[in-house]
Amino acid sequence: MMTASSAFPVAVGPGADRPPEERGVERDGVRLLVSSPNEEREHVFPDLVDLLRPGDLLVVNESATLPASLPARAEIGDFRVNLSTPYGPGLWVGEPRWGPSRPGPLPLDAHARIEVGGVPCTLVAGFPGIPRLVFLRADGNLQEAMQRLGQPIRYGYAAREFPLEAYQTAFARVPGSAEMPSASRPFTSRLVDRLRSAGVEFAPIVLHAGVSSLEFGDFPPGTVPVFPEPFEVPTTAVEAIERARSRGGRVIAVGTTVVRALESATDTCGLRPARGFTRVYLSPQRPIRSIDGLLTGFHEAQSTHLALLAGFVGVPRLQRAYEFAARAGFLWHEFGDSHLLLSDRTA
Amino acid sequence: MTSNEQAANPVALVTGASRGLGSVLARFLSGEGFDLILNARGRESLDASAKELTRGTGRVQTIPGDVSQPATQFALKETVDRWGRLDLLFNNASELGPSPLPRLSDFRAEEMERIFRVNVLAPLTLTQRLLPALIAQRGQVVNISSDAAVGGYPGWGGYGASKAALDLVSLTLAHELKDLGVSVVSVDPGDMRTTMHQSAYPGEDISDRPSPEVTLPFWAWLLNQDPARTSGHRFRAQADRWEVPE
Repeated sequence: MMTASSAFPVAVGPGADRPPEERGVERDGVRLLVSSPNEEREHVFPDLVDLLRPGDLLVVNESATLPASLPARAEIGDFRVNLSTPYGPGLWVGEPRWGPSRPGPLPLDAHARIEVGGVPCTLVAGFPGIPRLVFLRADGNLQEAMQRLGQPIRYGYAAREFPLEAYQTAFARVPGSAEMPSASRPFTSRLVDRLRSAGVEFAPIVLHAGVSSLEFGDFPPGTVPVFPEPFEVPTTAVEAIERARSRGGRVIAVGTTVVRALESATDTCGLRPARGFTRVYLSPQRPIRSIDGLLTGFHEAQSTHLALLAGFVGVPRLQRAYEFAARAGFLWHEFGDSHLLLSDRTA
Repeated sequence: MTSNEQAANPVALVTGASRGLGSVLARFLSGEGFDLILNARGRESLDASAKELTRGTGRVQTIPGDVSQPATQFALKETVDRWGRLDLLFNNASELGPSPLPRLSDFRAEEMERIFRVNVLAPLTLTQRLLPALIAQRGQVVNISSDAAVGGYPGWGGYGASKAALDLVSLTLAHELKDLGVSVVSVDPGDMRTTMHQSAYPGEDISDRPSPEVTLPFWAWLLNQDPARTSGHRFRAQADRWEVPE
């Protein structure tokens, strides 16, 4: 399940190792870079109230973050399993790891018995093409185990553990993401109210994001792993988007997960309600037609997110924006700053 | 039927289970906790494939034989009856036809008959024979199709026509069996690096095709859907998205 990516160089800025609240900045006080076709402008996140127009629509991901990292034990010793994607009540894709900075693959036997958060599990199969991921069959309730023993997934760059609350967004309603859909993290209920009063509308979709560890894994240059994730674009979202377009409003996706859900629900007849699993890989070779703007964070070089961004605004514009952001000291990663990209036709 | 042979685990029957997609399916279902009834023509390769599974917890019964032969089908039915349960029937065994693939204008009628016997009649008659067990368990039938069923690719006319017929058998059965609680789906697994695919392109390098394991996430997804919703639909295992039909 490897897909060739068009590797292109981009600048990289410093990473945020903790939430803004822990840096003396309010949740909605992060910096905001606005990229138009011809220029970059620096703002702060609440400036969205003035930057967006009455009639614009923000499409948000309602997926809530699970405490998906569980202690695990097998013959090889103690380790962690980061649960990535539920396929059914008893079947998950998970990532066994030694720790936040120590990825797998772990030397587990073909049908190894693993205790995950106290629940007996069996390794069913490796995930094709992605040696770090495995299918796990649980003889017990992993959701319940997560509530008791789970922690939010974190990687080596995070300063320390943070509570699950730090990984939830204002729109979180449907638990299912292994990792926070972080683009909407800066939204607070106060800011959402101000935007609504200014005539901006909101529409929800769901895409449960799996583990992102692969994004900075040791994969061959020019290839990125893509695996399926559950999504739903409900009728309400399709109707809200049609209304926004008919009144001349812009459709702005909050996060790359939203773009993938919308593109997965788009066929030759246009956007329609859809539900299932998607592994659509968006890139300059598979351009994006469903949105006019994208609010997102700052992403690692070579990541699938970055390929998606390039599929939206093109490689030269993306390189220019990242050059600007890195020079201006914008912060990367899920606790970092925000980036609004506007398409050529509507900026 | 002895009571101690009654299966507590769910039971799956896979035809063409000795190699390629069939053996990948068997391994996955074994890991998922199914007891397995496995069929293929070659006894040795079937036993070798089954041996890899017996390290798991579930039971495995091998029934070698040509699935288009009534004797093989009766032997399969006998095991299902003895175990007293059938949850999943994977009609996976397929006949490609002569290698290299002849053009349709040169196809010999007896070759075409053989292809249709294995790819259309065998899945249908096996489903008929196992229907009581499938009804009892509200079971699911999965018929393995091909993109050749819709492609019109030169050389693939015999195999493709049989798979197109199988698609219609699947769809019709799905409608007819709906009220009995039995679901039927058709799955195009996509191009894979298998012995069959190699026979279609003798002497050519097919190493760019993915191994049949590439379909595992799809099976994990399909088998966790509500069969009443998926029944009567055709899926592509290597597609970018798998949708739950409304």
